Amino acid sequence: MAENVVQVSNLTHDYGTVVALKDLDLAIPPGITGLVGANGAGKTTMLRILLGLLHPTSGNATVLGHDSENEPLAVRSRVGYMPEGECIPEDLTAAEFVAYTAQLAGLPKSESVRRASETLFLVGLAEERFRFLGDFSTGMRQRVKLAQALVHDPDLILLDEPASGLDPKGRDQMLALIRRLGELGLNIIMSSHVLTDIEQTCSWVVMLDGGHLLRSGPMGHFDRKSTVLVEVVDDAEAVAARLGTMGIESHVDRRRLVVGPGDLNLERQIVEAVAREGAGLVRMIRSSASLEDLFIEGSHVD
Amino acid sequence: MSTERVIFDRGYRKYEGPRLGSSGARSAVYRDGVRRVLGLGRKARRKVFPWALISIALIAAAIVIGTHWVIGNIQESLREGVPTYGGLFDFYSGISLLFIAFSGPLLLIPDRTEGVLSVYFSRPLTVDGYLWAKLRAFATVVGAIYLVPQIVLHIGLALISADGFLPYMGDNLDILWKVPVVTLGYVALHAAVIFLLSAWINRTGIAAASFLGLLIAGGAIAGQISQASFSGARWVSLLAFDHHPRIIRDELLGDTVDYPAEIAGFGMWTSVAVIAVIVIVALIAVRQRYRNLA
Repeated sequence: MAENVVQVSNLTHDYGTVVALKDLDLAIPPGITGLVGANGAGKTTMLRILLGLLHPTSGNATVLGHDSENEPLAVRSRVGYMPEGECIPEDLTAAEFVAYTAQLAGLPKSESVRRASETLFLVGLAEERFRFLGDFSTGMRQRVKLAQALVHDPDLILLDEPASGLDPKGRDQMLALIRRLGELGLNIIMSSHVLTDIEQTCSWVVMLDGGHLLRSGPMGHFDRKSTVLVEVVDDAEAVAARLGTMGIESHVDRRRLVVGPGDLNLERQIVEAVAREGAGLVRMIRSSASLEDLFIEGSHVD
Repeated sequence: MSTERVIFDRGYRKYEGPRLGSSGARSAVYRDGVRRVLGLGRKARRKVFPWALISIALIAAAIVIGTHWVIGNIQESLREGVPTYGGLFDFYSGISLLFIAFSGPLLLIPDRTEGVLSVYFSRPLTVDGYLWAKLRAFATVVGAIYLVPQIVLHIGLALISADGFLPYMGDNLDILWKVPVVTLGYVALHAAVIFLLSAWINRTGIAAASFLGLLIAGGAIAGQISQASFSGARWVSLLAFDHHPRIIRDELLGDTVDYPAEIAGFGMWTSVAVIAVIVIVALIAVRQRYRNLA
């Protein structure tokens, strides 16, 4: 198995009397990791410690093999960061800003300009790259923020609430973009308080609550209770039977089926079963987030 | 001809080239600072004011050279009354005050109010590296506003000198260190004040007004109070900050005016000390401010 991108040991951080993180021990493998928790859970503090911008009160964090407290510049040379808040200069074009952030990461000027163009193309802003950022919509600004985080080809990208402030369509597009980056082999840690975003995007999940680690593990472990509600035009029984032959459990209620539990491939398998039976798919909805159930369950335990 | 259209996914290209680390980051901030102060790469309206002032500075140098040339052709002795290096500093300090009031806040305030510091400091860039690069950018541009017209003036005066180019240069070698030293006095004081104001004020207009108010109105008020009869009034003259580089200028390039601090009995070295204290206080305060922000 590949080396962990982040290793945290006994990590504690407090702001005076407020404890933001408490005795955290965790390892994050390559891939897309979701850092999930309610507002104030310690997600941003965690990301800032990983960047070496905050010094832990005790314990340590290693990022890409570098101690974030003692070698912050080495960490920041190879990490991209997308902050949650506004970080867009109004009076620059997208291309200029992204090229500038590439230079800030240490890339030579000519290469920065080239990579800025490529990266803006990747995030879907090829046509708009010479427009001033002050004229950009919220969704476009989020894409620019993402572009600046990956323009210098980092080994790890930290995204702080990347879908924050976006409308549903923009949110879906941003999450699709992040999944695409994951498919391209980029390591990503994305924080979010929206559990469905994490479920749709991540292969590994770290749950924080009040500065404590609730759970950390692969998404499959969290997803075990997840079911999918399926509505078909007719012959739900036949679809259930077909799913049964595929080893998938389901319950029929007239034209509706509750299918699962199953992993993230479940939807694809359902579509296949419905297609084979010619039943006509009306809608398919994953049951209320299982991650949320686990989060609530974990919070209550603590 | 084929009517098929194919969309190619350009994917993601790994970067295998050089990474310049912190020095590359500092250079980038420096270059951006120079471009920002001069309005380069910004909308047209941001270019107008700095370039108008730079043009005026250069035109002033040309006018002075022309005046020397015309008057020198009439009667060489009349050139004594035409301003040269010291006199031009008075003019340039006015231009540079306006330039700094307009451009200085742009170096720090937008980065902070637009939230981009969170991006910058996520790169291999320290607070000290950031501030030092900004200071270098400021000093480069403002220093050039003082120095370039003076260099033009020096070469122009040498070219029209009745003694010839090289003899004039040889006779005025001291100008080559005096002008940079006086420039340093102006740039150090103005940089310290504008950085101090810009580190806390969030509106560029308010920072500009505060800068001009502190240096112009503050200087006039301090000058008046220092002439009062209460005990210790003379020390108030030191609060006329903008007089200190002028006192250094007058000492090195020829005395023109007695400023309140001089009337109160303070000399050039006191002015040097006051500028040094302001610079040190500004460095410590601004650095701490940005460490808290990072």
